[in-house]
Amino acid sequence: MDIDVKSLHPLEIKMLRGVSSGEELTPAGMMERLSFKLGQCNQAFSWLSAKGLITETSRTVRTVFEITDFGRNQEQEGTAEERIIGFLKEKGAAKMPEIAAALGLENKDVGSAFGQMSKEGLLEMDGDKNVSVKSADPSDRMKTVRALLARGVKGEILEESALSDAEQAAMGGISKKRGAAASCFKTAEREDVVYTLTPAGAEVKKFLEAQGVTGEEIGALTPEMISSGAWKGKALREYNINAPASRVLLGRRNPYAEFLQWGKDKLCSLGFEEFDGPLVETEFWNGDALFMPQFHSARDIHDVYYVKNPSHAKEIEQPWLDNVAAAHENGGDTGSRGWGYQFDRDFTRRLILRSQGTVLSAKQLPQAKVPGKYFGIARCFRYDQVDATHGADFYQTEGIMLGEDVNLKTLLGLLKMFAEEVAGAEEVRYVPGYFPFTEPSIEVHIKHPVLGWFELGGSGIFRPEVTRSMGVDVPVLAWGLGIDRMALMHLGLNDLRDLFSQDIESVRLRRRN
Amino acid sequence: MPKIEVIEKNFYGYTGKSYSHQDLVEVLTAAKAELDDVDPETGNLKIELNDTNRPDLWSTTGLGRQLRIYEGGAIPSYGFFSSAGKTLDAADRVVKVDPALKDIRPYITAFAVTGKTIDEAMLKDLIQTQEKLCWNYGRKRRSIAMGVYRSDLIEYPVQYRAADPDATKFQPLGMEDVLSLREINEKHPKGQEYGPIVADFNKFPFLTDNRGDVLSYPPVINSARIGAVEVGDENLFIEMTGTDLPSLTLAASIVACDLADAGHTVLPVRVVYPYDTPLGREVTTPYYFQDPAEADLSYINKMLGEVLSSDEIVKALARMGCEARVDGEKVVLRVPEYRNDFLHAADVVEDVAIGRGLETFTPQLPQDYTVGRLSEEEEFGRRVRNIMVGLGFQEMMYNYLGSSRDYIEKMNLSPEGFIQVANPMSENYEFVRASILPALLGSEAISGNAVYPHHIFEVGKVAFLDDSEVTGTTTRNYLGFLSADSEAGFNLVNSQISALLFYVSREYQVKELSDPRFIPGRAAEILVEGRRIGVFGEIHPLVLDNWGIGMPVTAGEVDLDLLLKG
Repeated sequence: MDIDVKSLHPLEIKMLRGVSSGEELTPAGMMERLSFKLGQCNQAFSWLSAKGLITETSRTVRTVFEITDFGRNQEQEGTAEERIIGFLKEKGAAKMPEIAAALGLENKDVGSAFGQMSKEGLLEMDGDKNVSVKSADPSDRMKTVRALLARGVKGEILEESALSDAEQAAMGGISKKRGAAASCFKTAEREDVVYTLTPAGAEVKKFLEAQGVTGEEIGALTPEMISSGAWKGKALREYNINAPASRVLLGRRNPYAEFLQWGKDKLCSLGFEEFDGPLVETEFWNGDALFMPQFHSARDIHDVYYVKNPSHAKEIEQPWLDNVAAAHENGGDTGSRGWGYQFDRDFTRRLILRSQGTVLSAKQLPQAKVPGKYFGIARCFRYDQVDATHGADFYQTEGIMLGEDVNLKTLLGLLKMFAEEVAGAEEVRYVPGYFPFTEPSIEVHIKHPVLGWFELGGSGIFRPEVTRSMGVDVPVLAWGLGIDRMALMHLGLNDLRDLFSQDIESVRLRRRN
Repeated sequence: MPKIEVIEKNFYGYTGKSYSHQDLVEVLTAAKAELDDVDPETGNLKIELNDTNRPDLWSTTGLGRQLRIYEGGAIPSYGFFSSAGKTLDAADRVVKVDPALKDIRPYITAFAVTGKTIDEAMLKDLIQTQEKLCWNYGRKRRSIAMGVYRSDLIEYPVQYRAADPDATKFQPLGMEDVLSLREINEKHPKGQEYGPIVADFNKFPFLTDNRGDVLSYPPVINSARIGAVEVGDENLFIEMTGTDLPSLTLAASIVACDLADAGHTVLPVRVVYPYDTPLGREVTTPYYFQDPAEADLSYINKMLGEVLSSDEIVKALARMGCEARVDGEKVVLRVPEYRNDFLHAADVVEDVAIGRGLETFTPQLPQDYTVGRLSEEEEFGRRVRNIMVGLGFQEMMYNYLGSSRDYIEKMNLSPEGFIQVANPMSENYEFVRASILPALLGSEAISGNAVYPHHIFEVGKVAFLDDSEVTGTTTRNYLGFLSADSEAGFNLVNSQISALLFYVSREYQVKELSDPRFIPGRAAEILVEGRRIGVFGEIHPLVLDNWGIGMPVTAGEVDLDLLLKG
C-alpha cells in the first residue's frame, strides 16, 4: 500500500477504525463517538484528507452570531433604548442633547434610538424638541433583543438558521461582520464539511484492523508510565524512522582551527618543538638578523606594517646587534664579505607587525638546542591588497632544524617527509629556490592524489651570516609550508577570507571534506 | 620578483637551441625561473625570475646565456673590461664629474656601443632591462638609473654636473615644451614619479655633452633629441648614475655583456671623478671589479652531504658560468663579469648543487633524535577551547587588524593603549586588536538570521601598548566569548565563567567592574590570587545599538597567560 502506516497519527488511526465506509463523517459526530475535542477532529480530518484517505462530500456555509464585550456590557447596564426610557421616566422630558450628555451617548445614537422607539409608539417629541415617554412598555423588538442578549451572555452561539424571522430582524440591527466592537454581536461564517472514507481509506482501515493497530499504542514513554508500569500490556507505537531529524545546535571547534591543531600535532610527532612570539617585532629580528640587506626591496614601506607610536624599540639586545651589524657591513666573523654598506642602527630598531614566521626562527637561534627541531604556526601581517589569495593577516608555518647532519641531502629528506606526512603527497619534485636568508634553497612541489601538482613550501640552509651572528656553529635548516592553502583545500574553500569569516551560520555548517 | 617578456624565437637564438614548453619549464629551474604564461596573441613567453641576487638573468640575452652555458655552451669571454691591473684605452670617450655631486648622486658608469644597428627586438629588450634593473635592482632608480643616447650627437667629454633646478631648462622626451628641472618634477609623469629622489637637494644631477647639449636629467628623463634612441640607430652611449658604485658597475657590466652577446661592439668610457671612490678617481667602464670566490672542498662536501670529486665540482661550476680550478684543499672560481652574488662559500655550494643537478642528490631522512612538544600556552589554550565547546560554544577565528570605528568608537572606548599602524592599507586595517569582543559583536551583528541562541568564542592573540616592554607593546593569549539570546543575562555568563574556572582548577573572586562596554552593576572583574585576569557581564545597550544588534548579549574575556600562571 502507498500509505506508510507508521506515519499515521493515533488520532487518524482511531478515526479510521471508528467509522464505516459510506458513513457521513462530521465533527459533531466524531466528537461524540470518539470523544475527540473539536481541534482534534479538525486535525484528523485535515491529515486524512491530505493523504486521500477521506474525501469531502459536501460543504455548507452558515452564519452565526457571537456576543461581544460591548454586548455583554449592554446586557448588564441596559441597552441604549432601555436607558433612555429609564432616564425620561425619571426626568420627565428632555431634549436629545441633554439625554446624550446625561447617559454618555453619542447624539446620533440617541437620534436613531428615538426614531425607532417613536415609530413603535414608545416616545414622542413636542414642538420644542422635548422628548418624553409615551408608553413605557418595551416593544416586541426590544424584548427580542433582550432575549438574544441573555442567550449570548450565557455563552450560546446563535445560529441564524435557528432564529425566527423576528429574531433575525432584531439581530440585524445589533450585529456587524466587521468592526463589531461597537455592536452587541459579531457576525461570523462557519463552514460545515462532511467527509466520507475513500477506497484507499477503507483499505488502510482493513489493514489496521488486520494488524491489530488501535491508535491506543503508547507514544512518548513518560517517567510515570515506567515507574507505574502503565506501559505493560500495551503496545508502543512504531515510529517512521525516515522522517527528517530536527536540527540540534551544538558547541564545536572551528574546522580551520582544528586543521591547524592537526598540523601542530603532526609536526610534534616528527620531533619538532613549538615556538611563538609577540605580534610586534623589530626590523632587527624580522629582517636584519636574517641577513636581508636594509636596502632589499622587500624591506620597503610597501611590504611591512609599521607601528605608529612608539615607532622604535628601546634597544636591541647585545651582542646580537653588533654581530649582525658587522655581518652586514663587512661579513664580521661569519666568513662572508658582507653587503658592504653602512648598517643603520636606527632603522633596525623600527617597530613593525611581524611579516614572516622566520622572525621566530631568528629569535630562537641564540637559545636553540643542538640537535634541535622547532616549528611555529604564526600569525603574520603584510601590506597587501586584501583579496581571495591575500589576507591582511594570515598564518605562516615555519621552523628550523639544527645539527651536524644538516646538509642538502637531509634538507631534501626533510621536505620529502613533510610532503608525505603532512600533505599526503604521491610524488615530490625539487626545484632550486630563492630566499634571502638561505643558501642553498629548495622549493618542493608535490602531486596530491586528488588535487594534482602544487607548491607545498620551501627550505634552505641558513646563511652562515645569520647563524654565526647568533653564536650557532652547526648548520641550520630553515623551512616553511603553505598550511593555509592546504586548509582551503581540505575545507573545500577558494577564498582565504572565508577562513576568517564572521558569519556564525556559515562557520557552524563548515566541515572538512 | 621581476617578470620579463621574451620573444620566443629570439630567446632560442641565445639559448642555442629550441625547447618545447615542457622542456623549457624544466631547464628554467636552473635559473630559478618559472614560465608564467604564454601570450595568446604574440606567442611571447612571460617568465618570472625568483633570484633577486642575479639581475643578469632579467633579460632575454642574460637568461638565454645562462641556459646555454648550463646545457654545455662555452663560457663567453668579453674583451672590453678594464680592471685593477688593466685599463683599456677609452680614446676621447670621457665623462667628467662635478664635485658638487658628491653628496647628491656621486657615481656614474658609462660605455659606448657600435657595429650593428639596433633592431626592434633589441630595443624592446633594452627598455625592459632598463626597467627591471632600475626598478628591482636599483631600488626604483634610487641606486641605479639608466640612460641610452645617440652617441653620434654627442661631443665628448660628457659633463655630469650638479645644476640649478630652476635656471636649467631643456625639452624632455615626451613633451613639446622646454621646462626647468623643477618644472619637470611637477609636470612630467617621470618627474612626478622619480623627481622626489633628488628634489630635496639644492642642485639636481644633469648630463650634457661638451657643447652643453643635453643628454638627460638623471634619474628622471632623457632629452628629446640626444635621448631619443630609435630602431635603426647604430651608435649608442649608455650611462648609469647612482649611489652605490658596486651595483652600478655590475649593472653596466650586465647591459654591456647583453649587447655584446647580441652582436654589438662595446667601447670603453673613462669616468673622471674629482673625489675618491671605492674604485679610484678614474674608472674606465665596463669595469671588472669582482674578486675570485672560493670555498674549502671539505665545506662543500659537508654542506652537500656527500664527497664530490674535484672534477665534478669544476664541471658543475662551469655549467653555472664560473671557470674554476682546485687549488689544494679549496676550489677557486672566477666570478663572471655579469654576476656579483658570491658573498660566502655557501654561495659556491649552491652553484655546485644546481650545476650538478638537484636530481643527482638522494634525499636522506634526518637522523638526529629530538623530542617534539607543544608550547605550554598551546596546551592550556586547547583545554580552554574544549571546555568552551562543552559549554555549547562555536569556535570562531578572526583577523587581528581592524578599524577605529569597530575597535574603539562602537565599544564606547577611548583610543589610549591601542597599537596603531603608521601605514595602513585602509582604515579597515589600521589598528591591532586589543580585545576579542569587537570581532564577536561584529559576528553577532551580521548573524541575525542564524538560529538562536548564539554562543561563540575565540582563543587568540591580542596586543596593546605597554611601556615596561622593550618594544613598548605586549602580546597576550586571550579567550573571548559571547552569548546572544532573548534570555541572556548576567546569570548565564556568571555560570559560564564559574564552570570554566572550575575545570581549569583555579579559585577566583569577583569584583564590581565599571567599564563603558558593560551595563553598570552587571559587570565583574575576575580576580585570581588578587590579580585581575578577566572581565564579564551584560553588554550595554548603547554598545548593542552601535553595532545594530537587537538581542541581549552577555560576554566575557580572560587573559589566558595570566590564568595559566595562576
